[in-house]
Amino acid sequence: MMSWVNIAMLGVGGLLISVPILLHFLMQPKPVEMVFPAMRFLIAGRQTNRSKMRLRHFLLLLLRCLLIALVAVALAGPSVASNEFGNWLTLGGVGFSGLIVAGVLAFAIYGKSSKRMLVGILTALLIGHLAYGGWAVSKLLTSESAQLLGDDQAPVAALIVIDTSPRMEYVSENSNGLEKAKEAAVSLIRQFPADSQVCVLATDNDRPFFSIDVAAAERRIDSLTTDFSGASVPSALIAGLRILKKSTQDRKEVYVVTDLTQQSWVGENPKLLVKQLGKESGISTFVFDVGVVDATNFSLGSLRLANAEISSRGRLSLSTELTRFGPAAQRSVKMVIEKRELPLPIVRDGVSRFPTQSFEAQRVTADIREDASVPLKFSFSQRLELGVYHGRIELEGQDGLAVDNQRYFTFRVGATKNALIVHPEDVNPRVMQSLLTPLDKVEAGTARYESETMDQMTFSQLKDWNEYDAIYLLDPSPLKDEIWEKLESYVFNGGGLAVFLGHNAAQGGIADSSFTTTAAARILSGSLQQQWFNEEPDLFLSPKELVHPVFDSIRDSESTVLWNRFPVFIHWGIEPVLDDGIPTQALLRYGNREPALIERSIGSGRVIIMTTPITEYGFVTQRESWNSLLSGNPVPAFLLLDGIASYLVEGDAESLNVLVAQTAVLNNDLRKFPESYQTFSPDPEKPPTVLNSVDNKIKYRFIDAPGQYRLKGQFDQGIILRGFSANIGGAVTDLTRIEMDDLDAFLGADQYQLATKQEEIQRQQGTMRRGKEFYPLIVVMMLVVLAVEHLMSNRFYSK
Amino acid sequence: MSVEKYLKPSVINQIKRLDLRAQFVVKGFLHGLHASPFHGFSVEFSEHRKYTAGDDLKDIDWQVYAKTDKYYIKKFESETNITGYLLMDLSQSMGYTYEQELNKFDYAICLAAALAYLMISQQDPVGLVTFNDKVRQSLPPRSRRTQLGNVLSLLSNLEPSGTTDLLNSLTQVSALLKNRSLLMVFSDFLVDEEETLNALYRLKHGGHDVILFHILDEAEVSFPFRGICKMLDPESQEEIQVDAAGTRKDYLEKMQAFRDGLELNCRNNGIDYVPLDTSMQFDKALLEYLLSRRARG
Repeated sequence: MMSWVNIAMLGVGGLLISVPILLHFLMQPKPVEMVFPAMRFLIAGRQTNRSKMRLRHFLLLLLRCLLIALVAVALAGPSVASNEFGNWLTLGGVGFSGLIVAGVLAFAIYGKSSKRMLVGILTALLIGHLAYGGWAVSKLLTSESAQLLGDDQAPVAALIVIDTSPRMEYVSENSNGLEKAKEAAVSLIRQFPADSQVCVLATDNDRPFFSIDVAAAERRIDSLTTDFSGASVPSALIAGLRILKKSTQDRKEVYVVTDLTQQSWVGENPKLLVKQLGKESGISTFVFDVGVVDATNFSLGSLRLANAEISSRGRLSLSTELTRFGPAAQRSVKMVIEKRELPLPIVRDGVSRFPTQSFEAQRVTADIREDASVPLKFSFSQRLELGVYHGRIELEGQDGLAVDNQRYFTFRVGATKNALIVHPEDVNPRVMQSLLTPLDKVEAGTARYESETMDQMTFSQLKDWNEYDAIYLLDPSPLKDEIWEKLESYVFNGGGLAVFLGHNAAQGGIADSSFTTTAAARILSGSLQQQWFNEEPDLFLSPKELVHPVFDSIRDSESTVLWNRFPVFIHWGIEPVLDDGIPTQALLRYGNREPALIERSIGSGRVIIMTTPITEYGFVTQRESWNSLLSGNPVPAFLLLDGIASYLVEGDAESLNVLVAQTAVLNNDLRKFPESYQTFSPDPEKPPTVLNSVDNKIKYRFIDAPGQYRLKGQFDQGIILRGFSANIGGAVTDLTRIEMDDLDAFLGADQYQLATKQEEIQRQQGTMRRGKEFYPLIVVMMLVVLAVEHLMSNRFYSK
Repeated sequence: MSVEKYLKPSVINQIKRLDLRAQFVVKGFLHGLHASPFHGFSVEFSEHRKYTAGDDLKDIDWQVYAKTDKYYIKKFESETNITGYLLMDLSQSMGYTYEQELNKFDYAICLAAALAYLMISQQDPVGLVTFNDKVRQSLPPRSRRTQLGNVLSLLSNLEPSGTTDLLNSLTQVSALLKNRSLLMVFSDFLVDEEETLNALYRLKHGGHDVILFHILDEAEVSFPFRGICKMLDPESQEEIQVDAAGTRKDYLEKMQAFRDGLELNCRNNGIDYVPLDTSMQFDKALLEYLLSRRARG
């Protein structure tokens, strides 16, 4: 749609065009009279000459009319939407060249050109011009651009998406990105026309809405804080566009204020957004870049704790990495552990008071190359009282982005765990026993477990298993249903159970019926189906990703583990029972994709089932060996068993360290813990909330910032302190900027304007609202027409 | 150099006396030739005279020098005399010029005067006939020195007027002539081409030598006009309005075709054709005359 600043000028221009026409007829210049004897040579071409002269006069008149028309059009101030400017320009060009072709054709015809081919080509060209011009005009007329131009004071519906990711906390020139973004957004809002609708949307998964008025929008901007939920700009845009499209305002504008880091533009299919912001939508999009091109930063990666629960003399090990964004540098990183200061935390004067005393457990200095990472390892071993402890890994010194300079962790110092190792007579339990209670650690008093071995018959007759934290069934022989049911009950109450299936589960080459009952299936995740035989040593454990806590021990040495050295020859296949309501997952599979390690979560406890035994020592006689997991140097098997053992007894330990926006779930056995807790978030300004235990669990769903979350409860006249730590993911603070091609993929290459300064965005805004003006082009055309007119009239009327 | 400049029409125009004009034109022409135009012509020795500065060294008689130790040059005299007629077109169109110093008629007079001077100085009898639609004046040919005065006197009193009827006029001239003569026709020939040629053929068939001095105004040759012009034919009084720029190409083509056609037809019929315009020096015309004279000899 074309708009005009002063359309009345077109009417005036129309009237003025009559002036040269009148002058043409009334005041034709007098020809120069002269005597000329050689007249007979002129008389011969008199007719042609007269036609030519008329045509030239007509062209001259046409040029003069065109000149006046152009002046009128220029004064009328036509403009079109920027995205249609190209189409109009093409149409204008085609029209102009069409006029030239028509002029030349007229000359060729009137001049009785003998070149028929020339006339033919010119006619074809003219027809082509007319056809294209007609098509382009119909396209422009039928285009459904809703953009209204010409009046930049008409109200708009504006969506302002402000990037509130942690990366926006990067400080440069004494202010961080979020402050700059807020300043820019407020400035934008203030110069919106009256009665505009404004929706301010942060990248925080919040619901979009139009503010009541501009002042409310400003207040909304003012209240924005860094969000750690990891929501991206595209997802906020998609949500915001839904409400923007519902607006009744004709003119719609989208402003994205962001630091243009790669991490802000992930998670959505770019095609969705490109389509919604397409030319047909009539939405003008502006991107305001508040980022820093040459940002430098140190960033601590995600923390990995070998064990979130240790014994009072145990060793706490954790690892992370330090990443440099910028030139090479050296930095010190320290591990700090907070001391318990009862009765803290408490609320005093409306502010939460947390323990302030801590000690430095370890310090590491790292030399880091440009744009590289170095791994960092920390360990701590000191006698601690039983309970929950908080600590943090802290980068010394300052940099542009402070939010990734520390990572928080929480660990629990627990009592020694009791483990019961159950085995049939023909199964030797020594590997499991020596793994749980290594002699050196027993002597040093740092062993995490106290283990007891028991043959399966005795175990079956035992009345109470509750004194054991974990039970390990090594290659169990047939068990009665009541034992299976008792085991389920034991697990439900928080016990840990590991079942390593082997040859004893078979009877006559097939699964014993006691392993196929419903009661057995509830523990084993299904009924034993068949044994898988693999005579060639080419089947082995084939881990895909080692994210589960049972792999904590093995994860660091993942790349060095050669599983193919430990082939599996026989394993059980389990026909899974569906819909029994018990969460089940396969943690590890063989190369044939059959599950090797299965986890079941029953009540407060866990079951780990391994479909091949860990008691095949390599000197098996009278039957076939099931695997070689313990042959040679069986470190991988030991690490795996260590992980399983830790996982079974740790219970809720993995919930001690979570990511922001996850839910922390802590076991809360009411026999040991209070029913409700006062919950303190890391922000001391936020008042504590009360969390109640539901189904023996405490669930905290509102983790919105990194830091330590503390739970304080009363039980048996004593204070119980619990808690957990929340961190942001390592990639969240990656300051790598998005490539322009990738940004184009989201917003459409020619569908948005990018600005880095307030003035730029205001100028672009003005252009988008008023459209692109034709004035400069028309002036150029006027000059061309004027020059041609001057040349022609000089040629005709010179004395 | 000093005399050559008089070959230019613009300079000659400043000389009011026609006899002087003729003298200057001829002297300037002869001087500019460097070599004697008479050398090798059918002339015979007449007498010796003393060498004076400016004479050609080739004319020095070295045998006389060997005998007398003095420079003498040989003087020659033409063996035969030719009778020349200057036929002047007196029509109105000859009075035209656009922006030259001399109009076509003045140019023709200068040329004719110079030729008369040259001829009489060589003791060739020369006559004059003027015509437009018919013969208007005539002077019978004489070789006496007084003849030059008569010719020049008549020429200086002429005014171009009337229309052209070349066929009629030249037919009359043809009737007047009794002996073979050299006929020098001065005209713009702006009449029907066929009529012109017929008239000329008639003269040629009468046994005469004909030299055609086709005199046009510089503007008629180059058509320098611009803009819209209303043209008036001085003889027919016909008017036409033209766009000069748009017409130029067409006009020039037609004019060139006319001159080329005339030249071709003249050559095919043994007529000498000298295309001239009023911006050209006179020597071209004079040289043409001399060459023609040699050919006759």
